[in-house]
Amino acid sequence: MFLMQLDRVMGYWPVLLKGIAMTVSLSVLSLLIGVVLGFAFGIIRAGRNRTLARLLGLYVDFFRGTPFLLQVFIVFFILPVTGIELSAFTSGVIAMSNVAACFIGEIVASGIKAVPTGQSEAAAASGMTRAQQMRHVVLPQAVRIVTPSLVGQFVLLIKDSSVVSAIGLLDLTRAGWVMVQSIPNGLLVFGIVGLSYFIICYPLIYISRRMERRDQSTIL
Amino acid sequence: MIEFSNLNKWFGALHVLSDINLSVAKGEVVVVCGPSGSGKSTLIRCVNGLEPFQKGGLIVDGTELGGSEARLRDLRMEVGFVFQQFNLYPHKTALENVTLAPIHVRKLSKVDAEERGRALLAKVGLGDKMGNYPHQLSGGQQQRVAIARSLAMQPKIMLFDEPTSALDPEMINEVLDVMVSLAREGMTMMVVTHEMGFARKVADRVIFMDRGAIVEMASPETFFTAPKNDRTRDFLSKVLQH
Amino acid sequence: MLGNLNIRVMLEYLPDIWHGFLATLMLSAAGFAGAIVLGIVACALSIQPLRWLKWPAVAYVDAIRATPLLAQLYFLYFGLPRLGVLVPEMVIGVIALSLNSGAYVAEIIRSGILSIQRGQVEAGMSTGLTYLQRMRLIVLPQALRPTVSPLIGQAIVLVKDSSLLSLISVVELTRAGQMIAIDRFMPIEGLVSTALAYLVLYYLLKLMAGLWVHQNRLPGRA
Repeated sequence: MFLMQLDRVMGYWPVLLKGIAMTVSLSVLSLLIGVVLGFAFGIIRAGRNRTLARLLGLYVDFFRGTPFLLQVFIVFFILPVTGIELSAFTSGVIAMSNVAACFIGEIVASGIKAVPTGQSEAAAASGMTRAQQMRHVVLPQAVRIVTPSLVGQFVLLIKDSSVVSAIGLLDLTRAGWVMVQSIPNGLLVFGIVGLSYFIICYPLIYISRRMERRDQSTIL
Repeated sequence: MIEFSNLNKWFGALHVLSDINLSVAKGEVVVVCGPSGSGKSTLIRCVNGLEPFQKGGLIVDGTELGGSEARLRDLRMEVGFVFQQFNLYPHKTALENVTLAPIHVRKLSKVDAEERGRALLAKVGLGDKMGNYPHQLSGGQQQRVAIARSLAMQPKIMLFDEPTSALDPEMINEVLDVMVSLAREGMTMMVVTHEMGFARKVADRVIFMDRGAIVEMASPETFFTAPKNDRTRDFLSKVLQH
Repeated sequence: MLGNLNIRVMLEYLPDIWHGFLATLMLSAAGFAGAIVLGIVACALSIQPLRWLKWPAVAYVDAIRATPLLAQLYFLYFGLPRLGVLVPEMVIGVIALSLNSGAYVAEIIRSGILSIQRGQVEAGMSTGLTYLQRMRLIVLPQALRPTVSPLIGQAIVLVKDSSLLSLISVVELTRAGQMIAIDRFMPIEGLVSTALAYLVLYYLLKLMAGLWVHQNRLPGRA
């Protein structure tokens, strides 16, 4: 019985592979856009223009305070009303890059604030402009501070991508959903789906842990 | 009181203590000095069982180290340890820091423990700081609380691991004064320090360590006036220059 | 775009949103309570020295962290009936939320404990405190304080995550909003009302975290 079902699940491997490809491409694309936007957000959030920083803060709060599922629906249902026609894939990428940018932005902002002010003062004293101080002195140090959290964000993004299955994209989770309709063994099907996610995510989790623990003394 | 016999310790491939032989008698004050990385801190951490060792023996107050956790705990009740970084509990007041172990380890009543704690804090000159939290105290005050905390267990031996190295210069003497009076009361002490004035004043013996071994051991008189070893002379010329 | 919002319809459906809001609140509270219990147990097992007790806890935390909640939810939703466990969707939802957040709670508490300096433990050892006494008197009182803010953060995540329960047809806030959309073909009104309700919860929790941080620095600190 079990072996038969396992055999049938294996018959679905093209669907599974398609799902994995979709999950990975959604996540990687959104990560790239999210990092670029996120650094822009972070620089503004930590910047001198407090009005702009607060306005962006409200925008960020909206996306940090509402469920991602809701955001996917908003992109998918509301943007078309304004005349922008979007495929499910584009909607997914927009929703994911946006939420990634919001979270990464806050991380980058705190990274920038964690660089001692003496650093930019030293740079200013040697005649650098604000932009040069940021580019050559502050950001390189901030990047080092935030890298472990960025890897963690990537994992979150991969996991968030499962939610876009709700608008019909055939990602890994949706592939499981499709399979379970004809193979009535949820433990097996979603066990395999879970294992696939694990194989993708665990190395990243491991890396981010290693980076975080580098300078942590342990007491146990 | 303390008896090292051929004690050896390795950190991986690094031989941090090699063939240590040393005995410290009751009431004796031994000062241990040497360059950083010479193994002097590791040496006294062994006495309190904070560091395991691989070869040789160590008997403290009649207890052979390397035994069970329970016996180690009994021993630690008799051996006080003062850390370079104080290690006061930040969530407890000065008095609570001092009374914690007497209440939970010696099973003293809270009233008795506090009475003892107040007396000890007064003795180290902090009678007016009992209710303060560590972060409200200066480094010198924190270290004196830490000494009172160890004394509250009424130990037979006190170990000091560079107790003044983390202090601003103007605070060093207030801590050393407490240690001097303790030595004069007859406490058995092992002190890792570079405070040579302290060594001259109260030490019965001074030990110089380098690369994990005891290089020289002498009375302060001989140690400072006629050191035998080149490395000792070299070291002394560096610390005594000022 | 928001100028076209039909406020009248939003007000008309306010009672439904309110019910959804309460349902989300209850589901989240139940899920979080379960997560705290699971988290404490998993953390305790993962820091104690016995290997055969340690690895199940570590495996649990890693398995949860490396897979999405939705997949975990479907695993239980399609899997539990197969094991003969027939429970309402709502219960499955709460179990999934607890299992999921429990792993993160375990990590939060664990990192609180690991943040305590080695010297604190040594100071306890040198005065003869036992392992349990050191944990209870020195490590935990210091370790738990800094975990409160991240735990509230995890509660925020859990409230938002509970929206996924709408996908296994549990009626909560997101589902309530969808009903407006379906009843009246007004997706925007439904989504906006829902989003606002979630934001209320978000800001409340954020405020709590802020107040905690403000009031609970180390005792006696000015």
